[in-house]
Amino acid sequence: MGNLKNQMFSSYQQNPELYDEIYDNKGEVKTIYKKLFDIYGEHSIKDYVKLNDKAKSSFFNQGITFQVYDKKKTQEKIFPFDLFPRIIDPTEWEVIEKGAIQRSKALNLFLWDIYHEKNIIKQGIVPMELISSSVNYLDQMNGIDPPGGIYNHISGTDVIKHNDGKYYVLEDNIRCPSGVSYVICNRTALKRALFGVFNHYNTCSVTNYAENLLDLLETVKPKGVDVPNVIVITPGMYNSAFYEHSYLAKTMGVELVEGRDLFVENDFVYMKTIRGPEKVDVIYRRIDDAFIDPLEFKPDSTLGVPGLFAAYKKGNVTLANAPGTGVADDKAVYTYMPAIIKYYLNEEPILNNVHTYHCSRPDELKYVLEHVHELVIKPVDEAGGYGISIGNRLTKAEIEKVKKQLLAEPRKYVAQPIMSLSVHPTYIDGTKSFEQRHVDLRTFTVLGKDKEFVLKGGLTRVALQKGNLIVNSSQGGGSKDTWVLKN
Amino acid sequence: MLARVANNLFWMGRYIERSEHIARYLNVNYFSSLDAPNTQSQDRQFVLRSMQFMVGDPVLNNEVLEEEKVLYKIGLDPNFPASIINNVKQARENANSARDLISTELYEAINKFYHFVLKYNADAFVKNGLHDFTMNVAEMTAILRGKIRGTLLHDSVYAIIMLGVNIERATQIIRIINAKYHDALNAQGSYGDKFSHSFEWTTLLKCAESYDMMRRFYKKTPTSISTLEFLILNPNCPRSVMNSLNQVYHHIKILDPSKAYNKTSTAFLIGKVRSEYEYKYIEEIEEDIQLFIDQILKSLSEISKKMEKEFFNY
Repeated sequence: MGNLKNQMFSSYQQNPELYDEIYDNKGEVKTIYKKLFDIYGEHSIKDYVKLNDKAKSSFFNQGITFQVYDKKKTQEKIFPFDLFPRIIDPTEWEVIEKGAIQRSKALNLFLWDIYHEKNIIKQGIVPMELISSSVNYLDQMNGIDPPGGIYNHISGTDVIKHNDGKYYVLEDNIRCPSGVSYVICNRTALKRALFGVFNHYNTCSVTNYAENLLDLLETVKPKGVDVPNVIVITPGMYNSAFYEHSYLAKTMGVELVEGRDLFVENDFVYMKTIRGPEKVDVIYRRIDDAFIDPLEFKPDSTLGVPGLFAAYKKGNVTLANAPGTGVADDKAVYTYMPAIIKYYLNEEPILNNVHTYHCSRPDELKYVLEHVHELVIKPVDEAGGYGISIGNRLTKAEIEKVKKQLLAEPRKYVAQPIMSLSVHPTYIDGTKSFEQRHVDLRTFTVLGKDKEFVLKGGLTRVALQKGNLIVNSSQGGGSKDTWVLKN
Repeated sequence: MLARVANNLFWMGRYIERSEHIARYLNVNYFSSLDAPNTQSQDRQFVLRSMQFMVGDPVLNNEVLEEEKVLYKIGLDPNFPASIINNVKQARENANSARDLISTELYEAINKFYHFVLKYNADAFVKNGLHDFTMNVAEMTAILRGKIRGTLLHDSVYAIIMLGVNIERATQIIRIINAKYHDALNAQGSYGDKFSHSFEWTTLLKCAESYDMMRRFYKKTPTSISTLEFLILNPNCPRSVMNSLNQVYHHIKILDPSKAYNKTSTAFLIGKVRSEYEYKYIEEIEEDIQLFIDQILKSLSEISKKMEKEFFNY
């Protein structure tokens, strides 16, 4: 059997500088991966290719696809899915889960504060510019009390493991974080292809997400409503996340609507059914702030519902997530997260923040200027990865250029150490073998009134190109089923 | 249920049903003609014309058709709106937008169906895949009907889909009757084959998967009158127009259970059309079959339009 094992992993090359999820520091397979490693070893790479195809067709049949347009015709594609699951042991998971809840709660309190008294600013813990300069801050939300006091009902926290073996948060996504349906589909696909392996592990289920989501959404119903009518709103079936929207609606057993199916009368929201209008109480919206109501925001939006915001303001309908949450998930706020957690919860952060140097502070600027080659320099007000300089990829001339920019506008920049994402064996189609690829983990946290839930699992995203650190699906990233083991 | 989504489900039902009838029509006509008892019915041109006629794309008499082109057009041509591939695409598109309401089992079956048709090699289809392809289409639609019946809640969602299925079934059966009626007329005069005993009636029954049961019921070779009676008026024949109308009436009552007199409702109109055919006899219809065909198609389209107004266009 030993020989066969080699067929799968004989050509697996380990870079000693990277943290490999399945090997310990002595180069031995970790205990939690041992069984899986052995089971996979019984197969040849040929078997594996076959299973891989099986998994792919499972995605096609489940209709979990996105469309690619070229000149002749539209083509359906599936997101790359890797059959080698990632395993997280229960003690490690506990840290992630507690940390994710802590951050979500702190962000919720932060949002309440900055849309009400703004104490955190008055006390000088975060600067006023953080809000005044943010395009995601909605003046309309000032003084509004969202039902149940919850802003970020659903949070997607992106964590990575650095080469020191510790988890760090890279980003908090609290607008419309997506990806949870892939967690469940990945599990389904893996079960279909390799059901045998599940017998050897005690893995937490991921299918309970929708029931918990509905449960928590019902806790934030508007006042005076007994049994709330919950719905999901989608931009429509051509949206790339439509599968997820329909999946969530189906598994919650609620209606999936588009903007054109709703209307507002006397500040109440109704949907148009085959039996006439039906009142709606809680809307899980998968449409961005700017598009939800043409009367209040982008006037040319056809995705939203005219008058929706007025109904929300009156407290007649709940929006999840609340409008204006985006102000709390941008990069600038991220750098203050340890202080924000401390201020509202009086706790130390459970998950590490990547340390951030503010170039506006002279002593920190000095450090940054001396260490540009080992830092990532980011502008505070740009999104989508624009204007980022990665120190160890720069030429000498480029470093000098960056230094000049920093000196000219120090307030505009922050710097962080270059993080090394852990790697995980991943099947690569091109070479028909397993190779190390960088991974991250998106977790999903749901906040309700005095209740919370973290999905035990998450979306492990894989950067499929060698050496690449960017795991986003738009950049050719794939994903893995993620097993959180039971205690 | 949302009005918009109801509309999509209605059309999902219609497109599923439609693709099956077209597939079966191609199959039965092609293969039964191969050893047909008269030269006219055996003629390739005759069969290809009949196929084009059935999908609403009749050809001029002097035009010579190429078999592979006709088969491709009706089967897999994405640019021909009535092709099987387009019907399946539409069925799936409509299912997509109502994905949250239907069962995973039903959706996966539709999706599998879609990928089967999409991936089917066009060259193989026109050269030697006609039987394989059309049989698979017919079988997959049967699976879909099974999933609709067996995995959905029998509530308004189900009623809407079944309304679509049955209105479409009645429509397609009439279109098939129309096409074969024309074939029977055209095949007249060839050796020993009178209209009323035309070989085309057998083909017609096979197109509606009703040949064996018809033989059991009448115990005689099909004639024009017994065939039409069976396919139009026999309420126990699952493909008959009468049966479809009964089904339509049953399902509209789930959507609109009111017993009050309301002459503007869809249920009222359906009841009226249904009663008309319930008490007809076949001799009345046979007197002017073309008139009957035009009238019933008109009634069915009125029902469909009325439904749209009452339920889909809030």
